[in-house]
Amino acid sequence: MFSTFDFDVIARSWQYLFFEGMKFTLTLTAFATLGGLIAGTILALMRLSGIKPLEWFATFYTTLFRSLPLVLVIFWFYFLLPYIGAWATGASRPMQVGALNSALITFTLFEAAYFAEIMRAGIQSIPKGQSAAGYALGLSYWQVMGGIVLPQAFRNMIPVILTQTIVLFQDTSLVYVLSLTDFLGAASKIAQRDGRLVEMYLFAALVYFVISFALSQLVKVLQDRVAIVR
Amino acid sequence: MPMIEIKNISKAYGSFKVLTNCTTSVEKGDVVVVCGPSGSGKSTLIKTVNGLEPFQSGDIVVDGISLSDNATNLNKLRSRVGMVFQNFELFPHLSIMDNLCLAQQKVLGRDRAASEAKGLALLTRVGLTEQAAKFPGQLSGGQQQRVAIARALAMDPICMLFDEPTSALDPEMVNEVLDVMVALAKDGMTMMVVTHEMGFARKVADRVIFMDRGEIVEDAKKDDFFGKPRSERAQQFLSKILQH
Repeated sequence: MFSTFDFDVIARSWQYLFFEGMKFTLTLTAFATLGGLIAGTILALMRLSGIKPLEWFATFYTTLFRSLPLVLVIFWFYFLLPYIGAWATGASRPMQVGALNSALITFTLFEAAYFAEIMRAGIQSIPKGQSAAGYALGLSYWQVMGGIVLPQAFRNMIPVILTQTIVLFQDTSLVYVLSLTDFLGAASKIAQRDGRLVEMYLFAALVYFVISFALSQLVKVLQDRVAIVR
Repeated sequence: MPMIEIKNISKAYGSFKVLTNCTTSVEKGDVVVVCGPSGSGKSTLIKTVNGLEPFQSGDIVVDGISLSDNATNLNKLRSRVGMVFQNFELFPHLSIMDNLCLAQQKVLGRDRAASEAKGLALLTRVGLTEQAAKFPGQLSGGQQQRVAIARALAMDPICMLFDEPTSALDPEMVNEVLDVMVALAKDGMTMMVVTHEMGFARKVADRVIFMDRGEIVEDAKKDDFFGKPRSERAQQFLSKILQH
């Protein structure tokens, strides 16, 4: 049955697929992971701060974003962000945000909710005695967090963080709704240009699988490697 | 003026009273052992001294500084009061030397070289010079607890609090830790020690405090306590732990 297939289409388009499409996918994944991790850690600290308004905000934020489909949030921000921006800056016309910036902001905010829960679990996995020992030495809250709790929490959570990043890597393909050219978007365009839908989607699936599988193997290796000996 | 003054401390979780009107004091250079059955509030009491456990009424004064005074810089006070925990609580992601240097650098503002010199001197004192580059997980429990004592001493504390320092240790490691503590006591360190090690109390304590159900039942000179404890509860407790 493969006799009618034309896999030559890949050879003709691989530069576009990887240097345009995959580059965008990886950039968005990296940006949202890093931004989401920083914002998520702050949210986790807020949620565990014991200060009610901060707790409420963080709980509301994480619950809200974890309860909405990502596609909906992407649309939402794409159409709303220009107006929010205009309102915030006092401009009379909607801001020009652009599909790319909109995607970066959306994914970062969305991932922050997930990373917040991961970091919260990570922080709670560190025995209370560790921070008590830090305080007993005269360290401040931020010194205890920055020097003792977060480094351990982060290390404990690396496998989970990486797993979430794999999910994110796949989810970035949803930017097709904004007509952005990520890897799947690029494959899709080539497929339709050359009328080679089956070949292209098979190839795209294979690439996603190989990368995700390789990363998940890395998770397994890391699980043993980064564990802190107690 | 006593080094540590505990004045009428009370603490409760809802209607459950953890500490009830506890009053005692520790003079400079004294070693006071706190004992009592589990759940008697002795760990809670010692943790109130450096503000790790908040209390609802009463006051604690350490070296003339009141803990309930809002103007008190709690972090600064804590940096001058050493504490050793039941589960050592070394920082597992840091090397032994980094464990010793962290607070010296961040709290006292010592430079790295001075912190390391101090750390090394203290490791020598507790007999662990060779372990400086290792990580806590590579050390035995007894070694970890000795490092924890060195870590507290690195801050040049004016007094030391020990919260059941040998309870999590295998029996064969208890003595190496107690030896360090005895040496410390003989050097004149002011110490408040929660422990069941009555041999240690006999050897170096000046006073023994017996607690039960959140109250200080007895607060007596060592010889009086072991000679003729007045309360029935203290007698029962002593007979139970001294049987073997």
